[in-house]
Parts: sequence; C-alpha cells; structure tokens
Amino acid sequence: MASSYPPPFEGSAEVKEGFLCPLCLKDLQSFYQLQDHYEEEHSGDSHHVGGQIKSLVQKAKKAKDKLLKRDGDERTETSYESFYYGGVDPYMWEPQELGATRSHLDLFKKHRAARIDHYVIEVNKRIIRLEKLTSFDRTNMDAGKIRALEKSVVPWVSDHDVPFCPDCGGKFNIRNRRHHCRLCGSIMCRKCMDFVPLPLACKLTSSTREALFVPGSPGKGGSPSAGGPAAPQQQLPRRGSISSLSSVSSVLEEKDEDRIRCCRHCMEALLRHQHKLEEKDHVPDIVKLYERLRICMDKVDEKAPEYIRMHLKEMVTKPLLTLGTVRFPMEQCLLLLPFSFFHLQAALESQKRHSEIDKNRTTLNANGDALRPAGGPRMTKAGGWLPLSDTAHSRSRELDDPLLQQIDNIESFLKQARAANRTDEIAMLEENLRQLQDEFDAQQTSRAIELSQQLADEESLQQSQIQYLQKKKLEGKMPIRAQTLDFGEVRNAAECTEKEFDSRENLNASPVLSTLLKTQSIKSFPRLPGNSPPLQRDERAPTPPAGETQNSSGTASLNPFDEADSTPIEEDPTNPFSEEIQKEHSQVLSTQNKEYNPFEDEEDEEKEGNNSGSGNPFEDEDDNGNDNQGNPFKTPNKTLNKTPAASTNPFDDDHNEGPATDDIIEEELLLQQIDNIRAYIFDAKLSGRTDEVELLSQNLRELQRTLQQQKRKTH
Amino acid sequence: MNVTLAVKQYVSKMIESSGPGMKVLLMDKETTSIVSMVYTQSEILQKEVYLFERIDSQNRENMKHLKAICFLRPTKENVENLIQELHRPKYSVYFIYFSNVISKSEVKALAEADEQEVVAEVQEFYGDFIAVNPHLFSLNLQGVVRGRSWEPTILPRVTQGLTSVLLALKKCPMIRYQLSSDMAKRLAESVKQIITKEYELFDFRKTEVPPLLLILDRSDDAITPLLNQWTYQAMVHELLGLNNNRIDLSRVPGISKDLREVVLSAENDEFYANAFVDNYPQFKKMSGTVSKHVTVVGELSRLVSERQLMEVSEVEQELACQNDHSSAQQNVRRLLQNPRVAELDAVRLVMLYALRYERHSSSMLPSLMDELNRRGVSEKHCKMVQAMIDYGGKRVRGTDLITATDAVAITKQFFKGLKGVENVYTQHQPLLHDTLDQLIKGRLKDSQFPYLGPSSLRDRPQDIIVFIIGGATYEEALTVYNLNRTMPGVRIVLGGTTIHNTKSFLEEVTSAAGLGHGSSRPPTRR
Repeated sequence: MASSYPPPFEGSAEVKEGFLCPLCLKDLQSFYQLQDHYEEEHSGDSHHVGGQIKSLVQKAKKAKDKLLKRDGDERTETSYESFYYGGVDPYMWEPQELGATRSHLDLFKKHRAARIDHYVIEVNKRIIRLEKLTSFDRTNMDAGKIRALEKSVVPWVSDHDVPFCPDCGGKFNIRNRRHHCRLCGSIMCRKCMDFVPLPLACKLTSSTREALFVPGSPGKGGSPSAGGPAAPQQQLPRRGSISSLSSVSSVLEEKDEDRIRCCRHCMEALLRHQHKLEEKDHVPDIVKLYERLRICMDKVDEKAPEYIRMHLKEMVTKPLLTLGTVRFPMEQCLLLLPFSFFHLQAALESQKRHSEIDKNRTTLNANGDALRPAGGPRMTKAGGWLPLSDTAHSRSRELDDPLLQQIDNIESFLKQARAANRTDEIAMLEENLRQLQDEFDAQQTSRAIELSQQLADEESLQQSQIQYLQKKKLEGKMPIRAQTLDFGEVRNAAECTEKEFDSRENLNASPVLSTLLKTQSIKSFPRLPGNSPPLQRDERAPTPPAGETQNSSGTASLNPFDEADSTPIEEDPTNPFSEEIQKEHSQVLSTQNKEYNPFEDEEDEEKEGNNSGSGNPFEDEDDNGNDNQGNPFKTPNKTLNKTPAASTNPFDDDHNEGPATDDIIEEELLLQQIDNIRAYIFDAKLSGRTDEVELLSQNLRELQRTLQQQKRKTH
Repeated sequence: MNVTLAVKQYVSKMIESSGPGMKVLLMDKETTSIVSMVYTQSEILQKEVYLFERIDSQNRENMKHLKAICFLRPTKENVENLIQELHRPKYSVYFIYFSNVISKSEVKALAEADEQEVVAEVQEFYGDFIAVNPHLFSLNLQGVVRGRSWEPTILPRVTQGLTSVLLALKKCPMIRYQLSSDMAKRLAESVKQIITKEYELFDFRKTEVPPLLLILDRSDDAITPLLNQWTYQAMVHELLGLNNNRIDLSRVPGISKDLREVVLSAENDEFYANAFVDNYPQFKKMSGTVSKHVTVVGELSRLVSERQLMEVSEVEQELACQNDHSSAQQNVRRLLQNPRVAELDAVRLVMLYALRYERHSSSMLPSLMDELNRRGVSEKHCKMVQAMIDYGGKRVRGTDLITATDAVAITKQFFKGLKGVENVYTQHQPLLHDTLDQLIKGRLKDSQFPYLGPSSLRDRPQDIIVFIIGGATYEEALTVYNLNRTMPGVRIVLGGTTIHNTKSFLEEVTSAAGLGHGSSRPPTRR
C-alpha cells in the first residue's frame, strides 16, 4: 500500500521528480524556469484562493516569488544532501568558550575566616593553658599547691553560680560534686568530666609549638571548638544524683598525678586538634603507590614511541601493518591502567611510523631480505657470542636505534669470533653485518627524505639539535683527548642533553637524533674487505688493504669510545696528525686520505661523520648538492647554518684542555658547514625557495668571515 | 550553542581545577544524570576520577587521600547534606560546584560548617540540564501540567533549567512565547525575572543580533508525539524507551545478560559502563558496540512486525497529513479490527483521528470509540482519548495545526502534493518546523508569538533556543537538526521539559487532565 499510494494531483502511479509544474506536470529543470513558466501559464490559477490578490498584478508577482522561494527551501530541507545550503551540523559547531560561572569563594572565605579565627583562638588558648599546667612537676607537689597553680592558669567559675551541671543538668549537691575544668574554668559534674592524660598533653603542646613556629601555619592549626554555640552536643539524659562513696573518696584524692581534668568540650576540641595534626603528616600507602604508578605511567609515555618503533621494525616485512597488531602487546602490558591517552599517542606514533616504514620497506626489498639482519644476531647469540660488556659498549646501548645496537653487537661478536679463529662464523657475521649496513643505508635515505620534508616546521627543534651536535662533536674529539677527559662527566652531560632533548621534542626529535647517530656510527664500521656495498659506492674513500682493515676492526671497534678505552691514541691533542687534518680541511675539501694509516683515516671520518657525515656514501651527491630529497644531512646542516657560533658550546669550555684543539675542531666544523651550506643553497635554488637561499647565503658569509678570523688566529 | 559541549566543558573544568591526584566525584541524583550524559566512565577515569558517590548516600567510607569534587544542584537537601559532610569531612579537600544560583545565606551556612577548612572552591557552574544531543536538551521533568497551568513546584525548576542553559551557552536572549498558552507566558516571565535579577551574570558580550528564546507549549501540537517514528533514535525511544541515552532491553526475549541495558550516545558510541553512577553491570567494552546495535535493531524489527507498525504508521501519517476523511476513517476502523494491532497503537489511532477530525461534519469518533470498547481496550485508555482532546484539541490550539487557511499555506500544501510523497512513513512535518521556518524568515506573527517586553528583533534571528513546555520529541530534534544543516548562519537548540515518546506523552496528558492516579503517580518509564 505504501508504494502504490497515489500522490494527489498526479492521478497516476507514476512518480515524477524534478521541478514539475503543478498543473501541467511539465518538468522544468530549475526553480526559475518553473517560476517563469508558472507566471506565464498559470498565474491566474494559483491566485484564485486569495481572490483579492488577483487584481493587483504587482502584488501578485511578489507573493508568487515568495511562494516559489519557499517551496525551493522546503525541497532542500527534505533532501539537503543535494541542495546543501551551507548550514552547519550541530556536531560541527565551532568551539565555544566555557559557559558562565560565578565564584562564591570570597564570600565563603569571609564567613569561614570569622568562624575559624574564633576556633583557632579557643584551641590555642587551651593549648597554652595546657602547657602551663604541665610545666610543673605534678607528682612531687601537694594537692593544695597544684590547685593554686591550676587556679592561676584560668580563673575558676565560682561554685555558687552553677547550681546544675551545664551539660547534663544534674543538680550539684554533696554527692554530686562540682568539678572545675582546668582548661576553661567551667564547672561540670563528675560524669561530664574528662581527663587529658599527660602524654597526650605533651604531644599536643609540643606539636603545636612546632606548628606555631612554622610561618603561615598557625591559622591552619585551628580545630573546631566544641564550645561553640552551633557545635552539636549530645545532651546526656538527665540523671538523678548517682553517687557513691567513691566520689567522696575521690574528693580526698583530688590530686591528678598523670592527667589533667577538663570538660568534655575542651577535650573534644583538643582531640580533634590532635587528630588533625596526625592526619596532616599521614600519607596512606595507596597514595604512595599511586604516585609511583603515575611516575611509571609518565615514564611509559615517554618510552612508548621507541617501543613502538622497535616493535614495528620486527614487523617490517609483514605486508599489512595494522594498528591493532601494534597495540595488542602493549595493551597486554598495560591493560590495568586507564590508559587511553597512551593508546592514542601510541596509535598516532605507530601511524606515523607506519608511513615511514612503508617507505623503508620499498628500499629494503630492493636491498634484499630485511628480516635476516634482525634475525642474525639472535642466531649468533644462540651460538654463544655475547656482546662486549665494556663501558664503551654499554654506552652504545644507549643509542636509540636498535639497528645500531645490532650492528654494535655483531661487531663484538665478530671480534670474538676472530679471536677464536672461527672462520665459518666470521663469514656469517660479516654477511650479517653487511646486511645490517645495507638496511642502515636504506633507512637513512628514507629518513632523510622525511627529514627534508619536515624542514619547514623544525625551527624549534634546532636548538636541541645543536646541543646534540655539540655533544657529539665533543665525543668525537674524545679519542684524541681521551687521556685528559673525565669520561663520566662527559657522559653525564651528554645524557642530560639527551634527556632534555627527548622531553622537549619526543616525536620529532628521535628520527633526527638517530640519523645523527647513524651518520656517526656508520662511519666507524670497520671496512670489511670487498663485501661492503657502501664502501664500494664510496668512491673517494679507498678500500684499505685487507690486513689493515682486519687490524683496525680488531683493535678499534665501531665506536669511538671503544677506541678511546681500548687503544688510547698516543699523540697529544696538539699532535702533528691533527694539524694535518686541519690543513687538509683548510683546503676546503676533505680530500684523498691515502697516505694516512687506517687509524687516521677513521679518525678523520669520524669527525666528518659527527659533523655532517661527509664521508658517507652519499657524500658525492651531497657535495654536488643536486640530491634534493636524498640528502640525509640537510637538517643537521641547516641547524649548523642557523647557528654558526658553535664555539659557544658549554662543553667545550668545560672540558677542552688545549685551545689549539678547539680551534682545529672549530675550523674543521666551519669548513664543513660552509660546504654543506653551499650544497644546501644549491638545493634551495633548485627548488625555488628564494627566501631560504637568502638566509643561507647570509649564513654562508658569516661562516666564511668566522673562518677567516679563525685562520688568522691559528697562523 | 552546543549544549553537550557546554556541560562537558563545565565538568572538565571542575576536574582540572582540582589539580593532580586521586579524586572522587560527589553528586546528587540529578547531577549524576547530567554528568553521565556527557562523560563516559573511561573518559572521566583518565582525569583521575576514580570514585563516584552520591551526596545522599549515608555509608560512604572515609578516604582522606581523595579530593572531592562536589557537583550538586542547589537544593535545600543538598546544602544540608553538604553541611553535614563538612562537619565530618570524609575527603581531604572539597571543590564545591553548584549547578545553579545559590543564595548568599546558604553560602554562609556552608562556610560556617567548614570548621576544618577543607573547602577549596565554591562556584556556580550552570550545568543544570540534561544534554541529550549537541542541539537537544531535556530537564527530565514529567507531569508539569495541571489542567492548563503549571504544576506549582515544577515552574521554578523549569525556570532554573532554562536559565542555566542560557548561562551555559552565554546567551542573554530576547524572549518570545506562545500567546495561546498561559504556561508559556508564565515561564517567559519567570525567566525574564531571573535575567533581571541576575543581570550581572547575564552580562555577556553583545552580539550583533541578540539571541532568541522561543517558548512553546506542547498542547499546540499534540499530533507529533503520537506518531510512530522511523529514525533510529526516535524509534528506539518510541519502541524501547530511551532514558538518559540508555535503553532498557531487559524485556527482550532471550536477551543476554550483558545487553539488559545499553547506552546509545551520539557523543560516544561505545559501551560505557554506567556502573559508575548507578551500579549497573559492567559491560564488555569493544565487542559491545556491534552486538548492542544488532540487538537493538533486531528488537526494533521484531516489534515492528509484531505490532504491524508499518501499517499503523502509514495510517497515522495519512491522518496527520492528508485530508481525506472517508479513507482515513475506513483505515482506522480496519486497523482497530485487526487483532494484531496493539492496544496502545489502537488508542493512538483514535486519538489522532479525534484531533484531526474533531470538528468534521461527519465525525465518526463515537463509533470508533465503540470499536475500541469492543476490542476490550481498558477504561483508562478510553478516557485518554477525551483527555487528549482536552489537552491538544482545537479549542486549545493557538496556531492551526491541521487545516491551512491562508493562501500561502494552501499553496504550500498544493506544492507538497505535486512533489509527490517521497516516503509515506515520513510525510509528517512537525508544527515546529513551520514555526521555526517562519521565525527564521522573520514571518512569525507577533500576534501569535509576542515578545516579552517592548523591544523586538529587527533582523533575522541567528541563535535560537526553543523550549517546549510539556516535552519535545526526537522527531522535532531531527527537524531542528535539519534546519541547522540547511539554514546558513542559523543555530537552533531545542529543549523540552522532557523527551517524549507516545507512552510518556500519554502519561503527561493523563496527569494534566488529573485522571485517576495520573497526577500523583511518579512517572515510571519514559
């Protein structure tokens, strides 16, 4: 029935759509055509309902316009998807400010203050009296004397003024005797009397003394008075005078040796006060645990990005990397915590990584199997090799790229294998190492691509990068100056920087950071004879003789610190060899290194790596400046460009022994920066970023000026 | 103009300004609903709120390591409870927020109770309404009408609710009301009085076009809440009952334990365990969402076929929208004779007929009533037909709900006809649509909807708050949503004393008529 319902005026089951004329059912495409049509053909018909309009042509026209417009509007309302007029979904309404609020806190405080003042005074009065009452030796004094003293503290209410107990209403007589509160002087019956034991009194007076002497706290020391008119006081049932001989006997021994008589109100006030004092310092276990939990949660939040990155790396080869699989193990770990924020962050992070890894994957696939490098070391571990456990190595563990750690590990395995002369394993390890390096190259490339894309919004990052660079530079110097430096100190300082760095730019910083690290450490890989593709590609760095390489990889490990520890270099910081380096760099480019022994070679490259990694496989392109996207050193370069005054490095001042070394490094740095800036300018020109070009050229000039000054100084 | 966001921001602000550390949220019955409408448990847990307590629950534990955030309506009982609480504080520090204006004397009483100086904040945060959707709020009040005027205790509450909406949205509006309704006038005056009294509070930044508050009366359109609806939210409410966005599915045959009650929140369509406020069973979180909707939809379709609601609805729509008496009465009669049509549906068909053809020359109402009796429809329901006519009949209505009189309306109907009926089940447009449409176009007649006070709006209104005394419906909420979507520069928020379905509307009408136990009985379900 629903479908066959005949719409009126149409008379047939056929449903026509569009802008039909109501009378002739002609389809007229648009409002305006319909309007015109209507006006021409049927203007008379539509107005017979309001007959009076008919004669007034002008009016009629107006009315019709309105009618037709209305109809148009109506149509959009029923099918607003197609006639979207620009209204806004209530869910999309612009953010609004917090609604009206009104604070009554001032009024509240005013009323409360009046009240509290009263209580504070009352309580403090009592405590001062209590102090006086406890100040003398009660045990060795006779009752009368005590009584006199007590009376001097607070005037006692005279007996005949109080015929009834003010609390319970019991009549005082010979059996129901009056008792005076020693704190306020009021009269109670025995039933309504209380005692402050001396220990409590001492506690109260001493703690209050402390509290009173803490500035700002006396106001807080107040506790509610039970004597206040509003304070609820349970009325004891009226009792007849229940008394006994004991009360008579108690009269005889009025002397309270270890307690102080007081009324209930005073007692209550004191107890509350004491309760409050106790509570003030009491932290329940759950709070301590909770605080620890929060700290842990914060730490986890901090570490989460790294965890996810590591996690993702293991899954690099899986074709589909869903968020779910990434989140799953974390949820397992942290299920108990209300952690959605963390998940959100994690999800974001992994999404970001995902795209990055995607890029990586394509490169990796080209390079070969990517899973094997990851799996390699583990196999070896099973074979019994353990990573070297010297200090340098443990430092290298801090490198935040797991891949670097792997490489590191393999290096040490390799060393051990060589020491043990296990040639088959050496071959396998070398193969692993090579693959790892491959992957590294690939990663660097893709990272660099991403980095160059991020350039625009990395202003804020640069400061921290500089710090990092400086640290690295410092570390780079270390092999030379190992004898004179306090290792731990540098490390601490470096760690500090790193932490600061991390906390400041957790998400953005890490890729840059690891790139830097990589550029550094990839340089220091021992060159394996003939089987290292990066080496082969590196045209300017000639392959050292096999024997020498083995030698170098055997003694000098991949890490500069290793070297510093195991084989400290004999030369002084001012040795001729470093001068040579300096000279070499003053010739603008780091040129052929053939005449140097492998040691020097590595040193040199390390430094380059520290600063810009000019010795890396991409150096050629870098120098030519025609590799826009693939340049991994863009960001570091830029950082350096922006702050040519690298000499402000605090670490330099702290740790540099010889100014000569300083200058050497400085100059070397400058040269490289100049180099890099040139490349960067070229790059910027190519991509038409004129404003950057300008900025860069300015930097370049500055750098060159500094260089001139440096040269003048040294010569 | 987003009411959900407004309340949410208030709650967030409360929690944030209490600083880090474990917190307890101390609420009363009403604020519990208010908060649970905008915040899920997981969301609020993240803000370190780990405990939810009612101020009136007696045996709360002492937990000095928790900070208490009190969000309370400024009622006498709450203030009294709070005073007791402050005499013997259970938590370390108290941040007190009242959902509406509190008197200075009450602040003083509280201050004097705070002998231990545990109160760190006393504020008014005007979240005194239930935010159902961003553009829809309710006060969860039923039985507001007694005869043709306000139930005396309700008017102050409605005024509070409505002014708190204005404050939360930071609007100091001009007020228009429906002239034909005395209740609308009373409410308008009451709101105006508050605005005048608390002029400092309402001193917001002036906008170019002042916002508008339009107060309407349900009795002007009694048809809309009687119709079956075919949008999800409205259907759920009509057939299953939606209370504070929660559906009670416990009567569904073979329902699993987990799905006895589910939450249907547009804000956050995940299961959130309402255990946090009302001790409902914890729900399985993620898997719930799908099975929830499957269950809900399954139940809806079961009810639709069981009660033959498609046919019923078609006749309802015909009654509401067409003008063909003989066909209408034949269809109604046919359905009344159908044993599968539920009693409620039979009654509402007759009601619709009665409202529609009340004054028709050949009204068949008496014979339809006979038909009802023959079906064995209960006395109570039969009486309701008359009550409905009393409530929303022609005598009462200010605007004409059904028959168009002027040229514009007639031609409009004419055009409607030529467009054809797109969907027989959704032909009906609530009266609210026309009212708002005219309002936006500046054509709403001052004679029917006068301004309160001398000034009137010259321009097209931009920010409109519509309030329906006697309750709004989800159909009207949809209308408002669509108007928001289609009208550039116009933002409309709809509110009502409650959100009606047919059942709750019938209860409202019953209580208005003072029929039997109607007025005194507390409404059970909506």
